[in-house]
Amino acid sequence: MPVKVKIEHLTKIFGKRVKNALAMVEQGESKNEILKKTGATVGVYDTNFEINEGEIFVIMGLSGSGKSTLLRLLNRLIEPTSGKIYIDGQDVATLNKEDLLKVRRKTMSMVFQNFGLFPHRTILENTEYGLEIQNIPKEERRKRAENALENANLLDFKNQYPNQLSGGMQQRVGLARALANDPEILLMDEAFSALDPLIRREMQDELLELQAKFQKTIIFISHDLNEALRIGDRIAIMKDGKIIQIGTGEEILTHPANDYVKTFVEDVDRAKVITAENIMIPALTTNVDVDGPSVALKKMKTEEVSSLMAVDKKRHFQGVVTSEQALAARKSNQSLREVMTTEVGKVGKETLVSDILPIIYDSPTPVAVVDDKGYLKGVLIRGSVLEALADTPTETGEKINV
Amino acid sequence: MFELSIDKLPLAEWVSTATDWITSHLAVGFDIIQKSGTTIMNGVTAGLTAVPFWLMIIVITLLAILVSGKKIGFPIFTFLGLVLIANQGLWLDLMNTVTLVLLSSLLSIIIGVPLGIWMAKSELVAKIVQPILDFMQTMPGFVYLIPAVAFFGIGVVPGVFASVIFALPPTVRMTNLGIRQVPTELVEAANSFGSTPRQKLFKLEFPLAKGTIMAGVNQTIMLALSMVVIASMIGAPGLGRGVLSAVQSADIGKGFVNGIALVILAIIIDRFTQKLNVSPIEKQENAKFRVWKRRVALLSLVVLIIGGFSGVSFKNKTAEKKVDLVYMNWDSEIASINVLSEAMKQHGFQVKTTALDNTVAWQTVANGQADGMVSAWLPNTHKTQWKKFGKSVDLLGPNLKGAKVGLVVPSYMKVNSISELTNQADRTIVGIEPGAGEMAAVEKTLKSYNNLKDWNLVPSSSGAMTVALGEAIKQHKDIIVTGWSPHWMFNKYDLKYLSDPKGTMGTEENINTVVRKGLKKENSVAYKVLDKFNWTQKDMETVMLDIQNGKNPEQAADIWIKAHQKQVDAWFK
Repeated sequence: MPVKVKIEHLTKIFGKRVKNALAMVEQGESKNEILKKTGATVGVYDTNFEINEGEIFVIMGLSGSGKSTLLRLLNRLIEPTSGKIYIDGQDVATLNKEDLLKVRRKTMSMVFQNFGLFPHRTILENTEYGLEIQNIPKEERRKRAENALENANLLDFKNQYPNQLSGGMQQRVGLARALANDPEILLMDEAFSALDPLIRREMQDELLELQAKFQKTIIFISHDLNEALRIGDRIAIMKDGKIIQIGTGEEILTHPANDYVKTFVEDVDRAKVITAENIMIPALTTNVDVDGPSVALKKMKTEEVSSLMAVDKKRHFQGVVTSEQALAARKSNQSLREVMTTEVGKVGKETLVSDILPIIYDSPTPVAVVDDKGYLKGVLIRGSVLEALADTPTETGEKINV
Repeated sequence: MFELSIDKLPLAEWVSTATDWITSHLAVGFDIIQKSGTTIMNGVTAGLTAVPFWLMIIVITLLAILVSGKKIGFPIFTFLGLVLIANQGLWLDLMNTVTLVLLSSLLSIIIGVPLGIWMAKSELVAKIVQPILDFMQTMPGFVYLIPAVAFFGIGVVPGVFASVIFALPPTVRMTNLGIRQVPTELVEAANSFGSTPRQKLFKLEFPLAKGTIMAGVNQTIMLALSMVVIASMIGAPGLGRGVLSAVQSADIGKGFVNGIALVILAIIIDRFTQKLNVSPIEKQENAKFRVWKRRVALLSLVVLIIGGFSGVSFKNKTAEKKVDLVYMNWDSEIASINVLSEAMKQHGFQVKTTALDNTVAWQTVANGQADGMVSAWLPNTHKTQWKKFGKSVDLLGPNLKGAKVGLVVPSYMKVNSISELTNQADRTIVGIEPGAGEMAAVEKTLKSYNNLKDWNLVPSSSGAMTVALGEAIKQHKDIIVTGWSPHWMFNKYDLKYLSDPKGTMGTEENINTVVRKGLKKENSVAYKVLDKFNWTQKDMETVMLDIQNGKNPEQAADIWIKAHQKQVDAWFK
């Protein structure tokens, strides 16, 4: 794949006395030293990397690591202090105003964390904004915007206003707005962080589908490792404005460059330190004192599971109800208490993973995590335990599939 | 004690010198602004007043119905409020006020919104403008009247000038605030798609800041309205004059009526500006109505214009003989100016009278911005004014002889002479307007009499002084006021002058007529009349008492003229 974006010695320093700070950066002083001596904050620090055409390049890091600054340097929403940004061999950092506008209009589009939609414009007017400022005739830009909305299944909402839509829809509008320009590069700044986990995964899938169809170069900012592993072709990890490792997800998990990356991907001997509490997930429960079999079945359907943990009114753990049991109870008009399984694997909160393994292998249903007063705290499922041992981090929001 | 080692800085002189320099060097420019501004304002007012009041009320009520949709409270209030104003005979004043407010607000918006944008875009400009705005907003509105008169003389233009300075800050501030408050992410979004600054301003920042800007504009209109009253001191026409003269003559009823008219106007403007500020979603819901709303609005505008033009064309040609007089809001001067102006109208003159503060009135005659006045109390009361402006006016001589000023007490008080005063009435003398000539005489009196060393002179207004006098007499309390005759208070209460052995309050004096230099050449008809105008103290007191007993000044003047037609006709021979 040809190189699309090439970054050389890109640095951004905020505040005053930038010159002194820049000199210190060149001597390799640390970020904190520079802040102490000059009062200038280093946002991005001598970064060098290349991005290939058609790849999803994820930039990760904790907040304050300079990842959003780096992204804004690429389209010069923030002016770089020094360094070069080559896009298709052309240096963006030295462009004059007009050429920069051209690059922003044609080559790069951006998607924002809080969607960045204009509240006073309808969805359609938002989508066509990028075309409107290029003075494209109304007919044509309408057509292109509607096309982009159609791709996002939002055409019916074109005359609504952003605040009449859900977060997921708004972000799809943001994406459609970016794509309506038909850019070569998409910059996405924590685009899915403001969405709830379910919608987030949907959007990640949609993005992967889009990418299969359009083959854009996507630069994606995220602070969520799972997100990065799901969608990223390559991942760059940033700390204090510096990139400390670039590689595929596999490379980063198997050969972390240093301890920081190691802890970042939580690579430790888990079986010895992780307790049930660390890997349990919220339990899906049915209150057998109140719920009947129909309610339990309905719950299983909406939660997409085949069993539920049974508790009483005070959330004391009682047992497990499976879908077969609930169906049987409904047919014979029995209560859940009469059909549920009470013989279930239970562990305490402090139990180590190494001790959980034998229990979970024997248990057909998820294992309940119960505290010393008998309250149900969560459940353990096979997948998460195995994952914990396989040195890959868990995904939150996993459904119980037994 | 800590003493400042430096002398008092001549700050006041510096400011005066600077103002004088500006006035003399930019006089041509000011003159053009004054003339064109006055022409514009008179045109607008003429247009507004040419529309029959019932038509205007109907149209405004229609517009109120349009903007408030299903709610009927506001249209009903608008209709009843305007009908009440018209019924009180304040329609002309209302239109004058509307013109003043419209022009001040428009100018404030034209200057303020771009300035606010510039402030939002540049930190440096913000740093410079912010303290200036603080200065403009906290400086009492009265202060702006002084340079306004120096630059533009009297009338509407200085009123607008002062109102603009006073009312500008909210628009600038709120525009700046509104544009700065646009979320960063949206600004970044607009930038990331390659918007030019102009596109960003018109497509994003302006629409989002509109609500805040409108709130600022609303504040500006309200401030301009409040300045209307203050500006009436320098001859801005409108409801403010009624309020001001009511304050100066302590006429509660009249003050209330004019005040309530201002309140009605303020509420109507306020509601209109608020209702014009709608969110896009509401707009979407009302899309059906929008088209015919626009039609109705256009139609009513056309009706107004046609009504205005027809009204203007029916107006009779302006009179050949014109005169432009000024006076102060004292009971004596109200009597004389009304008699003179009614008489001159009777003889075919077009008369314009403007009530002003004492010194401002002298100044306008001296500058030639007014033709003359019949209220010059000489040699004593207006001594300071005469010193300052005497050389620049033509003194035509007395129009009323035997006027007197002095300290006045109720007859039941034991003192008879200023030198006998010890500690009566809490050692205070109740005065009138601080700029009045008599006040200078009292100051001098306090300095010259040893027994008055720790006495105070409390300024108020001619009207407030008479109210205080009435209250004191009701309660049989001691009171000492700055009095003068002719005055109706001598007819109403049992009063006496305190004798003035040192003569600092002046001896008997005369009320004189002064006119501008050059009136004799340029307007000899008016000059002749002003030269001949004269009457007696008794005449004046008759008119004054009629006014005091509830007749309006024009009526009282007409009654007197009818009774003294021969005497009046003699002025015109």
